[in-house]
Amino acid sequence: MQIILQQVVPVFIEEEKVSGSQLWNSAFVFNKGERVQIIAPSGTGKTSLIHFLYGMRKDYSGKILYNDTDIAHFDTEKFSVYRRQHISIVFQDMRLFTSQTVLQNLEIKRQLNPWHNENKIEAMAKRLGIENKLNKLCSTCSYGEQQRIAIIRSLQQPYDFLLLDEPFSHLDDNNRKKAMELMEEETLARKAAIILADLKPIEYYTATRTLNL
Amino acid sequence: MKLSFKHIAPFLSTGQNKVSRWLSYFGLGIGVLLLLSSIQMYININQLLKNKNPKKDGYDYISVTKTITNENMARDHSFSEADIDELKKQPGIDDASPLLANKFLVKATGGSRIPFSADMFLEAIDEKFIDTVPKNFTWKEGQAVIPFIISSDYLELYNTVFAPSRGLPQISENSITAIIIQLECFGINGTQTFGGNVVALSDRINSVLVPQSFLVWANQHFGNSTKVNPSRIFIKTKDANSPVFLSFLEQKNYHVNKDKTKFGRIKQVLQAIVSGLAGFGILVILLAMVLFSFYLQLMIARSKENLQLLLTIGYSPHWLSKTVAKKWIPVYVMVIISAIVVTAFLHWGFQHFFMNNSELLSPSVHWIVLVVAVFLLLLSITVNFRLVKKLLYKL
Repeated sequence: MQIILQQVVPVFIEEEKVSGSQLWNSAFVFNKGERVQIIAPSGTGKTSLIHFLYGMRKDYSGKILYNDTDIAHFDTEKFSVYRRQHISIVFQDMRLFTSQTVLQNLEIKRQLNPWHNENKIEAMAKRLGIENKLNKLCSTCSYGEQQRIAIIRSLQQPYDFLLLDEPFSHLDDNNRKKAMELMEEETLARKAAIILADLKPIEYYTATRTLNL
Repeated sequence: MKLSFKHIAPFLSTGQNKVSRWLSYFGLGIGVLLLLSSIQMYININQLLKNKNPKKDGYDYISVTKTITNENMARDHSFSEADIDELKKQPGIDDASPLLANKFLVKATGGSRIPFSADMFLEAIDEKFIDTVPKNFTWKEGQAVIPFIISSDYLELYNTVFAPSRGLPQISENSITAIIIQLECFGINGTQTFGGNVVALSDRINSVLVPQSFLVWANQHFGNSTKVNPSRIFIKTKDANSPVFLSFLEQKNYHVNKDKTKFGRIKQVLQAIVSGLAGFGILVILLAMVLFSFYLQLMIARSKENLQLLLTIGYSPHWLSKTVAKKWIPVYVMVIISAIVVTAFLHWGFQHFFMNNSELLSPSVHWIVLVVAVFLLLLSITVNFRLVKKLLYKL
């Protein structure tokens, strides 16, 4: 399982940002089992890259191949298979169902392609300190709590690659550490890869490769 | 646990716009009821009126002539070969044959036993159109006796009107074949007298029929006519009351015995009324479907953000469309079953109270009504599925 980037360049990005990047406009391979850290300041296209890999945006030139298939050619049905079996994500802006409870948010993902049973949600919530929020509406949760909900949601399915877009921006050190440990364990169990994009290196994350965007 | 609508239901605003939803169910029910009842009534009319004309072999045989009016009296009213071919090609007409008429003078005399003398006419037609053709209904040149078939109505008229007024003996159907009359034929080649013998009576053709071989020979011999266009055509049809057949006759200005087709005309009017009702039913169904589509569009618009997020986290748009559309299948099934039940009840009432349990009508609804109901159910489900799918793929 590989994700290959072939001369990918966002159509909207300035030329000088492309020339100084290790990723844009170059050939690059993400392998299953890797721990990749992408470091870049704001406005250099971290979120765009994560969205390109997840298949949410196509405003780039070049190719992104998943198992030798250009994901730009996926139809909507193929993308749904890609997203429920091969790739999972923690969005920077969380993207939760704010009018639903925390449990409903987690269950709607778990039931799609269950990797864990129902009890595991409670155990994970307890581990990240949000077990008392499970039956509360998401809209009543703080950003930090919502970020932990988004992290737990991303771990409810099988995946080969876990995409993390500034996943700890609203978390304190203690919660960052707990969340990272949980994600490492879950990713290890799937023999999968993590591609983490953030403003600066995450100390609890043992990256095998660090790239500057 | 298999994913189903109940898992995604909390993420959709299905409870909104209840009035529009219930109105669409009600409209669909009324429309389906109108359509199904109209179809059942259409079938009832056909069944009640198809047996009004007794048919011996399942066909109606009808004489067709060109309508003679004051304006066209002077014109030729015979049928050309093209007219006959056109008639044969009409849907519902199984066969057509011209009735050849004599082109010379014929006189019949009864001899000493039945003292009468009258000018006669003779006609001939393809034998397959005659209901009673005995083996001796043949003629070869040189044969002195001509067999002929007369309408049974003529014998009845003779026995009830002519014979009593003249003091002549009445004749039974069996004894008429024993009587030989004289047929005198006049023409360019002089006069020739033949014996004439009634070999059969016809209930079908109101004429005096002789073998075609005789009339062809006699028209040439006495009338010097080799080519004679017929003025009457006999047609064979499964249903003389068929609206298509009647409108063709009307369009060509052909004349038929009105009594043979009067039920057809009644049927035409009734069928037009029932078709109008069915058309109205279809219109109501369409309006109900449009109303329901508005409800679906509103529901999807209100749930747009949630649906987009469901697609983002990996839900398949095909599965979502199928699941959302499936949610209304039980409602549609209930609406259509209710319409079938009411149709069955109305039909039973018609058969029981208006037709006094007539055996011509089955007390249960016709299978075509059930087929149409199933078709409507499938149509509603398909239309919903396609609409939801289209809306979801647009997100």
